[in-house]
Amino acid sequence: MSKPNFSDKTALLIEDMAEARIMQKKMLNDFGFKSIEIAMKAESAIELLRSRSYDVILSDYNLGNGKDGQQLLEEVRHSHLIPNTSTYLMVTAETSTEMVMGAIEYAPDGYITKPFSQAMLERRLLKLLENKELLLKVNKALDKSDYETAINEAKIVSEKHPALISRCNRIVGDSLISLERYKEALTVFRTCRKESRMPWAAFGEAKCHYFIGNIDKAESKFRQLTLDNKFFVSAYDWLAKTLVKKGEHEEAQAILVDAVGRSPKNLMRQIELGKLSLEVRDNLMAEMSFRRAVFLAKHSCFNDAEVYIQHMASIVALAREGDIPSRQIDNFQTTLNKVHQNFFKSPEVRTEAYLLEMELYSALGDNKTMNQIEEVWNHEIEAGQASAPSATAQKRVDHLKSLKS
Amino acid sequence: MDKIDISTILASAIHESKNHLGTILYQLESLKRLNLDQEGQKSLRKVEEGMKQLNDEWVEYLYLYRLASDGYEVLYDCHALEEFLDDQVFALTPSATAKNLLLEFNADQSLTAVFDERLMTSVVSTGVYNALRFAKTTIQISAYLENDYLVIAIEDDGKGFAQTAEEEDELLFQTNTGLGLYFADLSAQAHSVEDRKGFISKASSEALGGAKLAIYLPQ
Repeated sequence: MSKPNFSDKTALLIEDMAEARIMQKKMLNDFGFKSIEIAMKAESAIELLRSRSYDVILSDYNLGNGKDGQQLLEEVRHSHLIPNTSTYLMVTAETSTEMVMGAIEYAPDGYITKPFSQAMLERRLLKLLENKELLLKVNKALDKSDYETAINEAKIVSEKHPALISRCNRIVGDSLISLERYKEALTVFRTCRKESRMPWAAFGEAKCHYFIGNIDKAESKFRQLTLDNKFFVSAYDWLAKTLVKKGEHEEAQAILVDAVGRSPKNLMRQIELGKLSLEVRDNLMAEMSFRRAVFLAKHSCFNDAEVYIQHMASIVALAREGDIPSRQIDNFQTTLNKVHQNFFKSPEVRTEAYLLEMELYSALGDNKTMNQIEEVWNHEIEAGQASAPSATAQKRVDHLKSLKS
Repeated sequence: MDKIDISTILASAIHESKNHLGTILYQLESLKRLNLDQEGQKSLRKVEEGMKQLNDEWVEYLYLYRLASDGYEVLYDCHALEEFLDDQVFALTPSATAKNLLLEFNADQSLTAVFDERLMTSVVSTGVYNALRFAKTTIQISAYLENDYLVIAIEDDGKGFAQTAEEEDELLFQTNTGLGLYFADLSAQAHSVEDRKGFISKASSEALGGAKLAIYLPQ
């Protein structure tokens, strides 16, 4: 096997501390990378990753005030902004290693502990690229969502390279889940767990039980994972999902509150908690979660109008419960302004925003303002900027009118 | 202000000092780029080695603190032992070379086992740094399976653990506090499979004639 050569490879370096950044850039330069681009924080890295892909991404775990390296990784992997053929190497301090290692769902390809020498970094990168090279066909298939091929190629690799068996088994198991062949996946994960006690195997097993419908088994397995290691936060997410399936919404919400406490910067988790809280009518918690989600969404891959709409809906729900403090109305306005700025090109979003605004003022007993909003809305419907209300939206309008009289 | 546990204060202090040291180590990398003469390069290497060792020691103390205060979460993963030991030897060879000692490893190519990599990395470096003080020519790290336990052993050709009481007194006045062994023991114990826990053993090395520190990890 030929040693990987850096001269045809591109790199992205993500590091917020100037000193470390300069040094790491020099190191990458010395290795002879074809190009090296730099981002000082996660948000600018996302911008770069939107426009192109890199062979190697070297990211610090700690990236200052914004997202950390693990959240960045989860987001870009989840939204397929980086292909499986790219290598993601996380730079950690001892204290942050467990946060990275605890990520059973989206793990980086490798990690390196600070401080490291140039020789150490070179060695790590060479080894990782060598493995990527061996798994090239597998990863290419995964990038095309061709799971059948991925499974076959992974089996070939694991026969030739015993050191990669564990990695390949995991790919086979996950691919079988993607193909909805849960029983086969269960066998793969169960064997792996028995042989190696690896958390991802127990996690995969629990997911299979969830999909097959063995809800009690899934619950106990996810619960065990949360007990095994407090950093397995995605086990909490799945435990909550499982409890929802069982109809135990309140307990599910409590689990997510716990998980959010452990890792408050995860957008998807905040959204889930918000939705679940609306369902169990804990509107205060819903408002708080969606407010955080709106804040987190701004610089993420999931900057979707839905999050903003949900936040406004949670405040409407609060107002319907009784008197609300004026800062909640300010919160509503702040989010509404963001919707105006970012999503008002969509006629549907406009309509939903006006409707929520009407519902809020109706709940506050301010019919005058509500009527003014309706006028603006109708005007925009005529101009074609806002869409005509759907059947369900029309029902909400009718309901408001019936309250008025 | 509430009274804080002194060990927590010490751990945070060590943590900050370690981060500071990390920054200096980065700056050292730029010194390495200068065209120093032989003498300069030699001193630079010594400084770097010393700082790296200090860093590794502080990492050990931080893990020790967390193991002793039940704040450590063991992360099991499957590792090829040849690769793991190769990494350790790569990282520690400069320290051995600086003392004119040979550091080598020995593991079956097909041997894989489950353990917490970062914890064992710290245990192996602690063991090797300790052996550096006693070895005459050679230090060997090896890994093998024994009755469902993975054994990682660090052996040297020094005078071994069997010392007379007099010599032990002498050791008390040296820098040896036994902290390293305590750390290795706690790290081994943190590994468990059902009701089997890890442990360490101190013995004499059959291969090299000196000390042998063996860490047993249940599989």
